[in-house]
Amino acid sequence: MGECCGMTCFQLHELGAELSLGVLPARERAAAVAHLDGCARCRAEVHRLTLAGDALLSLVPGAEPPVGFEDRVMARLGPSLRPVQRLRRRRRLVLVAAAAVAALATGAGGWALGSAEGTATRTVVPAAAQTQLRSGQLMADGRVLGRVYVHGGPSPWLFMSVDADGVPGPVRCTVQRSDGSTVSVGTFPLRDGYGSWGAGYPAGPDAIAVRLLSAGGTVLATAHLPAAGG
Amino acid sequence: MRNPPGPVLRMGGMHRMGLPLERLPDDALLAGLMAGDPEVAVAFVRRFQRRVFGVAIAVVGDVQLAEDVAQQTFERACRHAQVYDSRRGSVPTWLSAIAHNLAIDMVRARHSTPVDPEDLIALLEAVTDTPERRAIADEESAQLRSAVAELPREQARALVMAGIYGMTARQVAETEGVPVGTAKTRIRTAMGKLRTALAPGREVGHG
Ligand SMILES: [Zn+2]
Repeated sequence: MGECCGMTCFQLHELGAELSLGVLPARERAAAVAHLDGCARCRAEVHRLTLAGDALLSLVPGAEPPVGFEDRVMARLGPSLRPVQRLRRRRRLVLVAAAAVAALATGAGGWALGSAEGTATRTVVPAAAQTQLRSGQLMADGRVLGRVYVHGGPSPWLFMSVDADGVPGPVRCTVQRSDGSTVSVGTFPLRDGYGSWGAGYPAGPDAIAVRLLSAGGTVLATAHLPAAGG
Repeated sequence: MRNPPGPVLRMGGMHRMGLPLERLPDDALLAGLMAGDPEVAVAFVRRFQRRVFGVAIAVVGDVQLAEDVAQQTFERACRHAQVYDSRRGSVPTWLSAIAHNLAIDMVRARHSTPVDPEDLIALLEAVTDTPERRAIADEESAQLRSAVAELPREQARALVMAGIYGMTARQVAETEGVPVGTAKTRIRTAMGKLRTALAPGREVGHG
């Protein structure tokens, strides 16, 4: 595999670093990419260089963005997030305020009302999230095959990571609800028994368990979830 | 109430109560973002804003422009969360790459002068610095830092100019007052050493 598409492996080797860093001028870049299309060895080499370039970026120190950055980003992300949940948040805010009033009435925490109003969106978010997210281990005959995270609410989603030696993919994921019904969430591949995957699923009665099934429908592992609410 | 971290997870197989989003692994947070969950979006932005803004400000060197780059980065991440592949790199790596591309595009579009010599020196120091105060400094990044620190000065400069500032070999050559061929060799040699430093360990590809 000496030459492909007008560029030799040697020439590619000379330019691989610049290519992987994205600083190769357009014409050379086009020739290099054409070579990579037909040369797995050079492709692997450029992939390793790309990882090195990514690693270099990871050494750049973090920096605190200007005050208010988070709010401005959220305002910008707004349209791509679910409006249903923004409504839900407002309702929770009312609940928090009500709780604060109750606290005030019992003399337990006079500061709570003020802080709930003053930093409404900020204080409500993590507090509400705590009761929405649950986690359980994927178990099979006493063996741990992974972990599942389930986030409830009007647009529920789950995430799982699986480490199951010898289990071929693809695998299917289902959710067992508190009313006995089952919903199929989706299918995902495993590589050497390992995979991680997340997806949304339809709102409905609470999830009580998550199952991992083989392509043929055999139950491979089950994660029981703690009761929702909390 | 006691709260022992590891063993309970292993024995009980579940938590008694809900988890704070702060405890969610990076890629789980991304799955929530994919589902359009605003609470997750806030947690996501909080977790990665320092990283994203750090890359942006290092490249563009201006707070206002860097904020714009960082905002666009989160917007893209939100819109393209489904294309993220954990085998190709961690979530912060992915976000850094997005921020980096956007920042370089911005610098190129503005035809800004490639790099302030003092900024370059400061960044070089930051990249090779191995302070104990950096709590997240894992073994891999320590190895990398020393690999960059051990490079001959001119190679390290070429590496930072090309790899972080996104300068072409020609621009590196002009800045350093050397032939283009020399600049190319410096970039290639430095990258080769960096890749070798990474090679024995695992790939940069775990959550
Ligand atoms: Zn080749």
